[in-house]
Amino acid sequence: MKLNRIGIILIACALAAITLVVALLLVRQQASQEAQVRNKGVGLVKSLSTIPIALLAESGGRGGVLAAVLASHDNGDFAYVTIGDANGRTLAEIAGSGSIAPATALPASAQTAFGERDLPATGGRAPLREFYGPLLDRSAGIAFVRVGFYQPRYAVLPQDISFLALLALMMFLVVPVVYLVIKREMAPLAALSGQLRQLAAPGRPDLQAQDDMRELAANVQRYLDQASARIAQLEEGSLNATADNRLLQYGSKKLNAALQSLPDGLLMLDPAGDVTFASGKVEPLLGIAMDRILGQPLENWCSDPALRTLLGRYSGDLRDNARSHKVDFAPLNVEGRQLSATAQPLSGGHGTMSFGTLIVLRDVTREHLARQAGNDFVAHVSHELKSPLNVIGMYAEMLADSDDESMRVESLNVIQDEIERMNALVGNLLNVSKLETGSMSPERNRVRLDDLLRDAHEQALPRAEGKQLRVLLDLPRELEAVAIDKDLFRIALNNLLTNAIKYNRPGGSVTLAARNEDNDIVISVRDTGIGIAPADQERIFDKFYRVSEAGTATKRGGHGLGLYLAAQIVELHHGRMVVESEPGVGSTFSVHLKIVSAPAGAAVL
Amino acid sequence: MSARHILLVDDEPHVLRVLRLSLEREGYTVTTASDGHAALACMAQQLPDVLISDIQMDGMDGRTLCPLARATYPDHPFLILVMTSMTALDERTWARAVPDTEFLEKPLSPRQLVARLSRHFAALPVMPGLPPEPVHAP
Repeated sequence: MKLNRIGIILIACALAAITLVVALLLVRQQASQEAQVRNKGVGLVKSLSTIPIALLAESGGRGGVLAAVLASHDNGDFAYVTIGDANGRTLAEIAGSGSIAPATALPASAQTAFGERDLPATGGRAPLREFYGPLLDRSAGIAFVRVGFYQPRYAVLPQDISFLALLALMMFLVVPVVYLVIKREMAPLAALSGQLRQLAAPGRPDLQAQDDMRELAANVQRYLDQASARIAQLEEGSLNATADNRLLQYGSKKLNAALQSLPDGLLMLDPAGDVTFASGKVEPLLGIAMDRILGQPLENWCSDPALRTLLGRYSGDLRDNARSHKVDFAPLNVEGRQLSATAQPLSGGHGTMSFGTLIVLRDVTREHLARQAGNDFVAHVSHELKSPLNVIGMYAEMLADSDDESMRVESLNVIQDEIERMNALVGNLLNVSKLETGSMSPERNRVRLDDLLRDAHEQALPRAEGKQLRVLLDLPRELEAVAIDKDLFRIALNNLLTNAIKYNRPGGSVTLAARNEDNDIVISVRDTGIGIAPADQERIFDKFYRVSEAGTATKRGGHGLGLYLAAQIVELHHGRMVVESEPGVGSTFSVHLKIVSAPAGAAVL
Repeated sequence: MSARHILLVDDEPHVLRVLRLSLEREGYTVTTASDGHAALACMAQQLPDVLISDIQMDGMDGRTLCPLARATYPDHPFLILVMTSMTALDERTWARAVPDTEFLEKPLSPRQLVARLSRHFAALPVMPGLPPEPVHAP
């Protein structure tokens, strides 16, 4: 409705503009006609003023020059030509058809100069424009010439009508274009106007009432409130959306970072079996480049048969995706590693939808090695226990069958030795187990070593006697105190002495010695036995390592735990064990322990 | 008939000593070796009628010695007895590829070993030159 009014205003404006243009055109045309009249008038007056009066006034102007003038100028706007003298008498006169020269006195200036003037209309004709001037010929006194022309009419000439119509048409054609442009630009405003009217509509009866303005203002205010509330709502919504988006991005990044930092490798398969996600750990675990895995079908990258079979269960037609499966395998592309892959279907929660499959790759190399070592350990220990049992069984049988006295003695000795060996093995096994599980924590006290060494020496004596060995003790007068666990250290010493006796030869000796050396106390066990080959010296402290007798593969009756245990105990005391040996001459095992300076008032046990 | 020759291979000197005494008392000629290399050296000197070997030995173990001994002397018929404390069946599969090989369970009884050898030699044909009857693992 508003727009219609605008249209009407536009049309009115267009009409006004057309009127103005036409008026301007007319004014211009009139001006040009006036100029034309003036040119004609001035020209005619000046040409007539040069002509001798006798010729002009000839026969009252009916013939001669004036008649010629009339003939050439009588085309509508020409009114008259008169020749008069200073007294106001008319000497000659001609006039166009129906025209008369008005008898109006000339101004005084007309005697000397040319002039022009307007004369009012007479006799229903148009107003006149008169041009006048003095004649040059003064033979009959001063005379004047007057030329009158009708003023041009304010009229539209027929030849101009078509041009004006064309102009009006063009202006009218512009109006709809302008109207359409304005309408487009104004559409929201029009809608606003409509809403405003709607808002005002319920209050319309009151609008005529006294407080109509207040009501309208209230309506407008309400609308403005609504609009600003709506705008605020939109802005808030936009802000929330942005915040939500950022939060979502943040959450996604956080989740991704968490997944990437997992120690396990993660793979996600889509229901078709292609990899849609792979965490960074997958690459080093499988030894396959990430870009070969992502988005690729299984056959293109998976070279491990076990993993391939597992993943194959979750893709394509073979899909078996209701349960999770687990497989352990050694990856082809990484040396010496054991992996465990667990595949878990990702269901939408209602059991109908599947997001694919999640595969967790875990490095189980350590567990695998530990299990292997455990199996090896059990096999080894059972072998070590069965060997003496085997020997005991055989000798027992021989003892039963043989009447030979020397044979019986030998059998009994061997049986006793083997029982001792088993006993030592079981004892050492228990100690090693305690050491390795950490349940054997040393109770370190400041101890004088003298007594401990003397005890160890006494215990070794009976074992050495049977092998015709001498066991010597070499202690300095003063020995510094050290902080050790007495019971643990006794085990280490016993193991060293046992070895020194076992690997000795008849008539040899074992020397247990101790000395102060710089900040250390060095306890050494020296034997005159078979010695240890240099190749074996590096390994004698390894668990279960046994040295073969020189030149043969025959083992002495050890179990490969004694030196290992002794070394572990020394290490537990932050000491170190050194071995020097020459095959065929003997070996010396030295234990270096730090001297502990006595705190004031500390008791020495 | 000359004395049957037995080659004993073990890295436990006590085992070698007891078995040697038990077998010599039964009239067998006994040679001992402490590992596979020593055993092959002995075989080069004199081929045994029976090779009795431990499995776990440093140097060359029984698992290597037995097939090697069989392959080195394909024309010489001799029984191989393997002493083992490993009762797991998969520890024995390697021996299927070696003909005439049997297992002796540890702890080993010298009496049972003597009886086992008597049965073996009784089953052999007295005439030399004929191939011995194959002995199957129980």
